[in-house]
Order: sequence, then C-alpha cells, then structure tokens
Amino acid sequence: MKRIAYILILVLSLVGCESSLDQVNPNVVTQENFWKTENDVLTGLAATYKYLKQTTNGYWGYRVVQLQSGRGDDFFIRNDNRDMYQLSTFTNSPTTSIPGYLFTGAYTGIFRANQVIENVPNAEISEELKRQFIAEAKFLRALNYYHLVINFGAVPIHTSVPKSREEYFAAQSSEEEVWAQVISDFEEAKADLPRSYPPEWVGRATQGAAIGYLGKAYVYQSKWPEAENEFKLLAQPNGQPMAPYTYDLLADYEQNFLKEYDNNVESLFEIQVQNVGGADGWAAENANESQGVVIAYGNAPAEVGGWFQMHPTNKMFNEFQKEKTVDGDFDPRMYASIVWDYPGAMFYNRPFSEFELVFGKQSKVRKYQNWRNNNEGIDGSSEINEKALRYADVLLLYAEALIMQDRENEAYPLIDRIRNRAKLANLPTGLNRDELMAELRHQRMVEFFREGQRFYDLRRWGLLEQEIANSDKEGREYFNLARHAYFPIPQNELNTNPNIDQNPNW
Amino acid sequence: MQNQKIRKSRYLWLFLLVAGMFIRVHAQDLVVRGKITDNNGEPLSGVTIAVEGTSISTASAEDGNYSLNVKDGNGTLSVTYIGYQTAKIPISNRTTIDITMEPESEELGEVVVVGYGTQTRRNLTGAIASIKADDIVTEGANTVEKSLQGRIPGVQVESAGGNPGSGVRILIRGTGSLGNNTPLYIVDGVQVDNINNLSPSDIASMDILKDASAAAIYGSRAANGVVLITTKSGRKGENKIDVDVYTGIQDIGKQLDVLDASGWATVNNMAHDNAGQERLSFAQNPESLGKGTDWQNEIYRIAPIQNYALGASGGGESYTYSLSGGYLSQDGIMDKTTYDRWNLRLKSDFTKGRVKVGETVILTKEYWRNASGGFGGQGGNPAGSAAKMIPVFNVYDPTAVGGYGGAYGPIVNIENPVAVLNLEDPEENMTKAVINAYAEVSIIEGLKYKLNLGYTNMAGYDYTYTYPYQVGTFFTNLDADLYEGRSETNTSLLEHTLTYDKAFGNHNIQALAGYTYQNSNYRILTGSKSGMPQGIKVLDAGTLNIASGSNALENTLISYFGRLVYSYDNRYVLTGILRRDGSSRFGKSNRFGNFPSIAAAWNISNEAFFDPLLAYIDQAKLRVSYGILGSQEFDDYRYNPAIYLNINSVIGQDQHLWPGAIQTAFATPDIKWETSKTLNIGADLGFFDQKLQLVADYFIKKNSDVILQVPIPLSTGASGDSPYINAGQISNRGLELSLSYTNSVNDLDYQLTGTFSTVKNEVDQLGTGSQQIFGGQPTHHGASATLTQAGLPVGAFYLIKTDGIFDSQEEIDAYVKDGQRIQPNAQPGDIRFVDHNNDGQIDENDRQYLGSPTPDFTVGVGGNLAWKGFDMNLFIQGTQGNKIYNGLRQDLEGMNLDVNYSRSTLSAWTPENRNTAMPRAVINDPNQNARTSDRFLENGSYLRLKTVQIGYTFSDALAQSLKVNRVRFYLSADNVFTITDYKGYNPDLGRVGSILDRGVDFGHVAYPLAKTFMAGVQLSF
Repeated sequence: MKRIAYILILVLSLVGCESSLDQVNPNVVTQENFWKTENDVLTGLAATYKYLKQTTNGYWGYRVVQLQSGRGDDFFIRNDNRDMYQLSTFTNSPTTSIPGYLFTGAYTGIFRANQVIENVPNAEISEELKRQFIAEAKFLRALNYYHLVINFGAVPIHTSVPKSREEYFAAQSSEEEVWAQVISDFEEAKADLPRSYPPEWVGRATQGAAIGYLGKAYVYQSKWPEAENEFKLLAQPNGQPMAPYTYDLLADYEQNFLKEYDNNVESLFEIQVQNVGGADGWAAENANESQGVVIAYGNAPAEVGGWFQMHPTNKMFNEFQKEKTVDGDFDPRMYASIVWDYPGAMFYNRPFSEFELVFGKQSKVRKYQNWRNNNEGIDGSSEINEKALRYADVLLLYAEALIMQDRENEAYPLIDRIRNRAKLANLPTGLNRDELMAELRHQRMVEFFREGQRFYDLRRWGLLEQEIANSDKEGREYFNLARHAYFPIPQNELNTNPNIDQNPNW
Repeated sequence: MQNQKIRKSRYLWLFLLVAGMFIRVHAQDLVVRGKITDNNGEPLSGVTIAVEGTSISTASAEDGNYSLNVKDGNGTLSVTYIGYQTAKIPISNRTTIDITMEPESEELGEVVVVGYGTQTRRNLTGAIASIKADDIVTEGANTVEKSLQGRIPGVQVESAGGNPGSGVRILIRGTGSLGNNTPLYIVDGVQVDNINNLSPSDIASMDILKDASAAAIYGSRAANGVVLITTKSGRKGENKIDVDVYTGIQDIGKQLDVLDASGWATVNNMAHDNAGQERLSFAQNPESLGKGTDWQNEIYRIAPIQNYALGASGGGESYTYSLSGGYLSQDGIMDKTTYDRWNLRLKSDFTKGRVKVGETVILTKEYWRNASGGFGGQGGNPAGSAAKMIPVFNVYDPTAVGGYGGAYGPIVNIENPVAVLNLEDPEENMTKAVINAYAEVSIIEGLKYKLNLGYTNMAGYDYTYTYPYQVGTFFTNLDADLYEGRSETNTSLLEHTLTYDKAFGNHNIQALAGYTYQNSNYRILTGSKSGMPQGIKVLDAGTLNIASGSNALENTLISYFGRLVYSYDNRYVLTGILRRDGSSRFGKSNRFGNFPSIAAAWNISNEAFFDPLLAYIDQAKLRVSYGILGSQEFDDYRYNPAIYLNINSVIGQDQHLWPGAIQTAFATPDIKWETSKTLNIGADLGFFDQKLQLVADYFIKKNSDVILQVPIPLSTGASGDSPYINAGQISNRGLELSLSYTNSVNDLDYQLTGTFSTVKNEVDQLGTGSQQIFGGQPTHHGASATLTQAGLPVGAFYLIKTDGIFDSQEEIDAYVKDGQRIQPNAQPGDIRFVDHNNDGQIDENDRQYLGSPTPDFTVGVGGNLAWKGFDMNLFIQGTQGNKIYNGLRQDLEGMNLDVNYSRSTLSAWTPENRNTAMPRAVINDPNQNARTSDRFLENGSYLRLKTVQIGYTFSDALAQSLKVNRVRFYLSADNVFTITDYKGYNPDLGRVGSILDRGVDFGHVAYPLAKTFMAGVQLSF
C-alpha cells in the first residue's frame, strides 16, 4: 500500500510540472496588453517617426541621405563603400544594397503606421484623439510611399498588417496606384491633423506639412492646378505667409542647417535628431541607440577623422558662382553649403588650406556639417535636424506650378523672395518660359544642395541625360536613362516575394 | 576525531584479517599465489579472482600479485576483469598460478553507452560509434571535439578557425536541419551546450548515437545525433596517480601571398590609370616604396602551448573514485590572443546494500583573450585587415594618440591590425559547474529505480577595454571605453527512471520507463561607459556614454519515455522506444510531440546454419532501425508576436527623448515540432579471428517541418528577425564504413583503421515551393553566394558563371543578343560572364548551381604501431568534392578597391600580357569583374596529415627503479601538412553560424589554422 501511495505522489508531482511549459517572454510587452491607452499609441507613433532617421534604412539615416544625392550631377561619392559607389556611378545592380535599405526602411515605416491605424480604433481614448492619431499615422504612411514611388516607381501596397503568411507576399501596384495611395493618405492627414503642437510635441506632423507634401506629390505627377491649390493655402501670391499658417523664410539661409535653429518658421516638416537616449550612433533600435545622426561624420574630411564620402562636383561648384550678390560677393548659399579656397576660409576651426582637396574636386561640403566645431565627435551623432520640407521648396514648387500653367508673371514674386534672401536682385521682367524655368532650375540646384532633390528634379524635367552628361560626375558614361531613372526592385525582395516582378528595364 | 576513529577501526579490521589468514594458513588450507598480467606482460590490478561455486574471492594488487586461500585444490579459478575474457583455470593443487589475461574481442564484449544504460555491442540494434580514452589521449588535441575529426564515419568535424579555445562545427550525418545542426552533448548524464571546456584526458569514452533508434531515448534534442561522454571512473582495488604534461609550439600553417609596397603601388596605379582616375599620391613612385610593412608578419607569431593534468583514481569493495585536475595554457598564433583552462573533476560512487549513490562534479574556468573584431572599418578582424591593409602605411606613429600608425588618404578604411590587437582588449571568462548526482535502488532482482538530479551553472564575464586612440585618419576614439557584462545560465534536470532486466532461459528483457524535467534560465547584465582616466579600468571612473542593460530567457522541456529491448538466444534483438516531449517553445496546441522508434538486430553468426562459414567469418550481424525524432531548436517565445520596447525617437522644442514601442517582427503562432525520420540498415562483420572488422551503415534521414527562419519580403516591413516557420523537408542519404585491422607480428603490434562516409543532401521541399533562401555573404558588402531551394543541396553554390576574359573589343562586340552587346560596359581584359537565362544582360538571374559545400566523401586513415617500448600513431583525414567560396580572395583579387592585393594580380591582363587568367586592374570596375561569381569558387578537397605521434614507454624494470609504474615520453605534431588546391588559409574552415553560410570562407573575420609541435610525458604511479 505504502509503495502504491509513493508512486501516486510521484505521478501527481509529474503532472503538476507541466504548467512550467507556459513561459512568457520577460523582455517584451505582449500584443494583448498593448494599444490600450493614449500613451501606448504615442509610443507606437514614436517608433513610426523614428524609422525616418534609422541609421541604415531610414530615409534621413546615414546611407539613404547619401543615396538621395548620390546619383545627381551635383555629387560624387567616393569608392569606399562599394555599393554606394556603384549606385552613384551607375554601375549598380539589384544586389546593390543601399536601395534595399531605402526600400526596407520605407516599408518598416508603413508596417508601423499600419499598426497604429489598425489598433487606434480599439484604444480607450476620445474619438477626436483617435482621428488625430490616425491622421498622423496616415501622414507617415504617405511619406513612406512617396519615398518609394519617387525611387522605385511601381511597388507593392500594404494598407494593413499581414494577418497570415499568405499576406506577406504582395504584388506590385502600378506607379499611378502608388501615387493615388500617397494622395489619399495625405488628404486624410490634412483633414485631421492639428495646425501646431504645444512645445513638448513640436516636430510631429502638422496640417501644413500634409498640405505641402500633397502639393509636392501633385508636382511629381505634373498635376499643376491641383498642386497650385495646395501651395496657395500656405503662401500668398507675393510669397508671404498665408494665414492661418505662419510659414516663412528665415532671414539668414544658413540658419536652416544649424542645430540652434531646429524647428524654425521655415520648416514644414523636419526629422528630429538629438544625441539623447543611448550613446551609440550605430546601434540598432535599442536603449543604447543615440538619437542623433551619423551622416555628418560620414561626410567630414579625413583631416578631422571623418570618412569624406560625399563631394560636390565641380559642376556644382561652378553653379554656385553663376550669379554674384548685389554686393558683388558670392551667393550666401554658397558659403553655407560648401567650403573652398576663398580668402579667410575656415573649416573645423582651421584654415581651409590645411585640408587636402581630393578626387580633383574643388570644394567640400559644409551644409549639415558641424563645421564650426573642431570635429564631428567620436560617434558622430549630429544634432542638426534634417529639413524634409522647407517653405523655400513650397515657394519654388508653387512658382513652377504657375509657370507650367503659362502664368509666368505670377511666378516672379515667388522666385524673387528666394533670390532676395540670397541677396540677389529681383529678376528682370519679360523672361520667357524657358528662361524662367532655367532660372528656377538654377535656384533649386543652389537652394537645395545636399537636400536630396536634384536627381529627382532632373527626372521630372526630363533633363537627367543631358545634365549628367555635361557634368564631371564619375560614371556618367554608364548612365542609361531607361535603367537609372528608377532603382531596380532589390534582389532581397525578389528572392523572398514570388508575387513581385523586376522593374521592366532591369 | 571522527577520522581517527575510522582509521583506528580500519587498523583493527586489518589486524583481524591478517590474523585470520595466519590462522587459516596454519590450518593447512591451500593458498594459491601468482601474478596477473595482460597480454603485453603488464601487471593488472583489481582483477577479481574467485573460486567457482564459492564465495571465496580476492582482487589482485597493484603489482598484479594476488594470493587466495582456495581451501580445496580441486576447484576452478574464475578470473574476471572488465575488458578481458574471463579465464577459467583448474587449480589442480598448484600453489603458484600466473595468469595472462586476453583482451576481449573489442567488437563483441565492448560495452556501449546507450543513454540511460549500457549494452554490449552484441546486443546493439542502432548505429552507435565509440571512441575510447586511448584514441583521445594520444591525439594531443586540446579540445575533446577536435579528436573526433575523421575518426568516426558519418561525423563531420570542421574546425572553426585557429582561434585558441575556439570550438568546432560537428555534423552527424550531414545537414539535417536548416536551423541548428549541433548534436546533443550529454556528459555523465547531464546535457551541456558544448564540450570545449572538458579536458581530453578526463574522457573515458565517447559514444556517438547516429540513427533514430539509438538516439530516440533522448528524443527532442536528439535529431542531430547525440554525443555521450563518459568521464573516467576509478577501478576497484586500484589506487593510482597519473600525471600528464605536454608543452609545444604552434606556428601559422600558411600565410596569404599578398603584395609588398612597390608591388601594390604598381597594381593600384594600373587600376587607377585604367579607370581614368588620378593615381593615389602615395602610390606615385612604386620603385621607391620598397617592401613596406608586411602586415601578416606583424601579427602572427610562434605561440607556446602547455598542458598539465594530474589524476588520482581507485576504489575499494564498495566504492570507486576518480579525481583529476588540469591546466591548459594556449597562446594564439595571432599576437595577444590567449586561451587558458582550469579543470577540476570528481566522480565517485558508493554502494551499500541495495542502494548505490554517485556523482560527477566538473568545474571549469576558461579565459579567452580574443582577437578584437576591429574598429568598425572595412578590414574585418586583424586577420582580415592584415591581408587587406596597404603595405605603404607604418605600424607605429609615436605622435598619434595610442602610438600606432594607420591608413590615410582617399582609400578604403582598413584598420592597422597591430593597433587593433593592442588597443582593444576583449576578454571573456566562463566558469562552468556541471553537477550530477544519482541514487539507485534495487527494488527486487532486476528492477531498479534511479533518481538523477543534474544542475549546471554557467557564469560568463565579458570585459572589453578600449584605449584612447587615433589610428590614421579613419579611426579616432579619444576617450577610453569599457564594457562589462555578466551572464548566468542555470539548468536543472530531474530524472526518474525505472529499469527491469531479466533473463528467462534464452529470453532476455531490458525495460526502461522514465520521466525527465529540464528547466533552463538565462540572464545577462551589461554596462558600459567611456572617459575613464588613463590606467583606470572600472566603470565607476567613467563619465561619458553611459549605458546599461539586461535581458532574460527561460525554457522548459518535459518528457516521458519508455524503452524495451528483447533478445532471444543471442540471435535476435528487438528494441522499441516511445517518447513524449513537451516544450515551452511552442504554443499550447502544439506543445507535445510523440516520437516512436523500432529496431531489430540479427546475429547471423550465432545461427547453427552459419557454422560452416565461421572459418571465414567470425561474426556477422545485421541491424535495421526506423525512428522518428523531434527537434525544437529555435529561439524561445517565438510563437507569440511581441511589442518591443526602446524603439525610441526625439520630440519637442527641447528635443527630448520620445520613448517608443512597437511590433517589429512577425510570429508563427502554429509553429510545431520539426521531425526527423531515419531508416538505418547496418552490418557488423568480423574476419580472421576478429583481426579484420567492418562496420557498415546505410541511412536515409528525412527532416520534415524543418524549423527555419525563412526570410520574408522586405515589403512586409519587419525590421526584426524573420518568423520561424515549419519550412519544408530535407533528406540525407549516406553510407558509412569503418574498417579496422589489428594484428601482431613478433613484437610488433599494429592496428590500421579507416573510415569512409558519404552523404548526399537535398532539399525536397521548401516554403511556398519556389521558396529560395540566399545566404553565404562572402565579403563585407558582397552579394550572397549560396542558395537553398527544393532540388538542391542545402547552401548550394548559386553563382554567375565566368567564361574567361575578353581579349579584344571584337570579342566584346561579338558577344551579343539580338544585336545588343550583352556586356556594354566591358573593355578588353574584362571578364566574360555567361548569360545563363539568355536575356541579353548579365544580372542575378544568370546565377546557376555550381557545386555543394558538402563533400562527396570524407575519409580518415589511422595507424597505431607498437614495437617493444615504442609506439607510433598516425592520422590522416580529408574530404573530396566539396566547393569553397573564397571571400577573402574576392577582396584581394577584385582590384576594385584601394586595398592591398594578392601577388597574383601582378599578372593582371594588359594589352601586352594577354595570356593570363587575371582580368585587368580597373578601380571603378564598370564590368563588375569583382562581383560574386564562380571566379572565386574553389575546389575544397584536401588531405591532411593531422596527427603524427611517436612515444616510448620505459620497461617495467626501468620504471620501477624510478619508483613509478609507467613512464611514457612522446613527441607529437598536429596539422603537419595539408594537400589542397584551396587558396585560402585553411580548407576545413567551416563558418560557425548559419548552416547556409557553410562553405563560404568569410576571410574577413578568419583566424588561420596553426601547426602544432609538442613533447610530453605521461607518468603513472
């Protein structure tokens, strides 16, 4: 009897142990306990915003900033990261990794925005807040699709979180469908976003940002009246601020690229970066990650420990010198953007003559560099917010939309606002459309140097072949418009997604 | 006090015993004396000498002598000793009987550890291979696993580089899974993660369970095979002390032939000229540059290795013990790298009545001073950057912070490897305690209950200190950095087993029922800071970059199992096993899996009808088995999607931290057990008095529902890991042969062994059907080199094929499709790629299957010779038919980057030098000559003289005059030479990590293999 009792106790003790097979991950929050409160939604939004500047994949992270300018006639990127060099010399292939970073980064933002959009309706918060949060997530989703469509053309569209494995494998939508998605998301964002935020929330998407991007999205589709309709909500015909919005040009162009003037009046939307959180600018998404950006380190000259990766072409250097100011000096945007061997030129607190000019280029990048410091720091976490959309862009796109509708005269005051700030005289009257467009192209090239616009502008204008051919850009002989106007779908997407096809020219 | 009492009582017993003997001798009983020796004349101690049919018995003393009062001169002595044939000797009224024991035929009498018990090889039904202590000790390998290399058919052991204290990759019967292929290691009944920390001299035997029926009793973790390690026990009646000391040197086996300064400048100038780019300023005058720095010479050295082991073992009537300690110190051939290991091990057992208790305690402490991973440049680790660093630069620069020179100028940022080794000090410490205790009770005859409690504790401590430095213009770190991390893993094991062994006439039953519970938990705590003042290396002194962290994991496995072995008349053996496993890694509905196996063996040679054949074939046995095993080798908690924390951002006019959290990865809620089904057919044959023995096995192993992280489209937006899914089926078929021949001619004893195995690996089905998984990144930025998809081997090489070099513009112009040039960017001297899909352009769609990383076959050949006091051991191993992708050569012969190049690039194509296989040097490489292609795929076959050892054992007389029982001196050499066409450091450089990268030599972070020469002495007294 005793023995049987022992055996029974033994058996019972074994069965009891099976409950220890229930193990809960102690490092994370589970889905069931999340998306309940306003704070949950805000943390979800933080994670969605943050990917815009993620070091590797973010559109304003280190590599993709270089990608944005790497193909233009305004930049040369040196041969130390082989993939970066390939795409900037038009010898890239679908396996070239950097466009894949951009692709991944945009879809990561979309996946996160979709989580917010899907989960907010069930959160325990007011209907008004729900609308605002969804609008904010839609703005971010639209921005990511915008980045995809201008770089890849036709791509897959996900507007919800995949629920089963089958839903991972989305087919491509046409370029038009992607633009339609961008427009509809920006429209919905425009409807429900606030015009401004209290100081502690400055930096989140506003109604003005949605309007500006909506206009820009129409410009990319050559929908000029629609574009004009958006821009005129933000700017008066004379280029002055349009109430209730208060966007305006800063008096000093350079202040746009100094960290002391983050979130200024000229900025419709910018990427918030600051060396807070962890200390490691290269860390993955974790507590050790610095929230600064490392691009300034990548572009700083070797003499101060940087990797000197982006170099203005000599064509760009000459473009800056095309027109002197009313005082006979160089365009102030030239001083703010690049440094060259001018009398008294200083760079990282040293005379410019102490720096070696390499690759036969005559200047180096100043814009977005902390070049008034001695160097870019060790981990190079720069704190200069990347300006995603400036009022200057709104004014010039507005002007372009008017010119393209044969209303050249209405464009003058808008262009002159940009010129006047740069201490250039008003435009002479009576310029024809071509002359006015040439002026506008010059202004855009100089105004938005290193802001990732040039290559995309040239494509819109149909001038890629001509302007790359007439530049000193390395690899221009390998440029093939059909192939290089858009990136190929990254090989890693083709490898994993049976429903997607390569872009036809690749 | 207590001790004294015991001692006193012992003396009393001894006195009574001796007195009793005298009394009996006095009573004219017959006392037999003699000496027991083995077939080599060596005395055997602890041998049991008994008079048959009585309780009279004794054991031989250390010198082999015995005396026994047999009472009756007509009886028969029964002399038994483990490992030797039992001798039956009639006393015939003799008073002196010297006995020579004949070893048991190994194949027949060998005891094999089978998991929760032992069996004689005669009764085995499964495929189990064994290595005994002698094979391990004479090897001189510093880790246990390395001594497996080539010795057992079906077991592939690939070194994981020459890093001191580095592990190996062990594959039993090929690549079964796409996930974890590491076998299960069990040391004296306790599961451990790896066996690197064990001292080879502590091992009594290793038994490798290869097929499903053999491994089934270990169920859920046994799908990749099981390595059972039994450490040494003491022997009854023997008290001895063993000392084993060796010391030696290691030297790099092979250096890469890279250019000196002037050679580099010549090629680099050519590359810049051909691209129309200006030359680098410091490459202008090649002739004036001379040799420059030989970076490989700067970091490699001749490194000492030394090992000390001391053991004491023995036992009495009711107990045995074995105690050993050891110390190994091994410097790496790369400067600064070191490995130290301290071992302490105690194993003992005690029997009292029907209860037996015992334990194994293994304590180890290991220390690694590793090669730093580099400063984050593109050189990789010091081995990688020593190959790629341009020889123009200087090693030292007294004016720089830290004192080292470095690269500058418009080139690739490669770190000075000497600076990396000296300025970053990464250290790892690991202390492990493996404790196992058991109590076994005989309930009734044949029925035993055993309680087994195991506990392992692994405490890791990592420390990385970085000095302030400025190394060239690319690498600056002006504040000292310190990282410290402590991790702890505790695993507890509880096992209840009930065994029943019974013979009924010719029927024999061995039954086993059991339950195991295993829980493992892990936690790590890390902290780092910067800015410590010079010489201060604690976090308290740091002021900058403050970071800390911790995380934790826990998992549980519960299993119920039973085994029944039935044998009839030593002719037929049947084994059945059933196991039910539960794992915390699966969701509730898929948590448990049932895994059965069945096996049969037929000892044909024991059949009456076989008698006529016995003259030719001594032994013949056939084995067949089939079984299903489960695998749960993937990460914890992966069936549930999670919200990850600290996905942070910045917000506000004051730019403050905005904490974020979100789901970053997908999960598979219905993930279930991976299963592996193995059919094994084997034969054991013995010829010529068992002198020639052959073991042959053929197997088919199919892994289904393979648990794998299948990459999902980038467009899903998952930034975290890909989800694990049950992805498909992989099959392995193979043949394993082991042949040995043992003989003696006059004084010469010799044994020759050979192993041969071949395994064919194929993916039967994967994911959605057309699923392709790419892997094997060969260089820092390079495209993948391998593909895994249905119809191909795992990690198959899938590459664009090259077809020579364009010799002229006409050849380029002639290479057209529909009138369009296929390679429009090509110039004479560029590589012609094969347009495999015939679409008129060269791209990734032109990749094709070009070989497997799995060899067609592997061989091992060993020889043992003993002549008088001399012995010699020789071991050769090799592979045939595998391919290796040489990633480092892609960097060194690419000529598309400003790095150092191979000497072979001096023969690069020029209009004057057309007869060459090396394309032109062109730094912007518009034709992508340096792309991932079969240009860098090489034959990985090799044959290596792995070990040669010569020893001399002193004669007994000489040994005894030195007051020891045994003295042996030996000289040994490892990795003496390797015959191979492979151009990298080492053809068996597997790549630890993903199995999809196997065969891709990522020289970027390699550590070359060393040759080792050693001298040692083994003492026993």
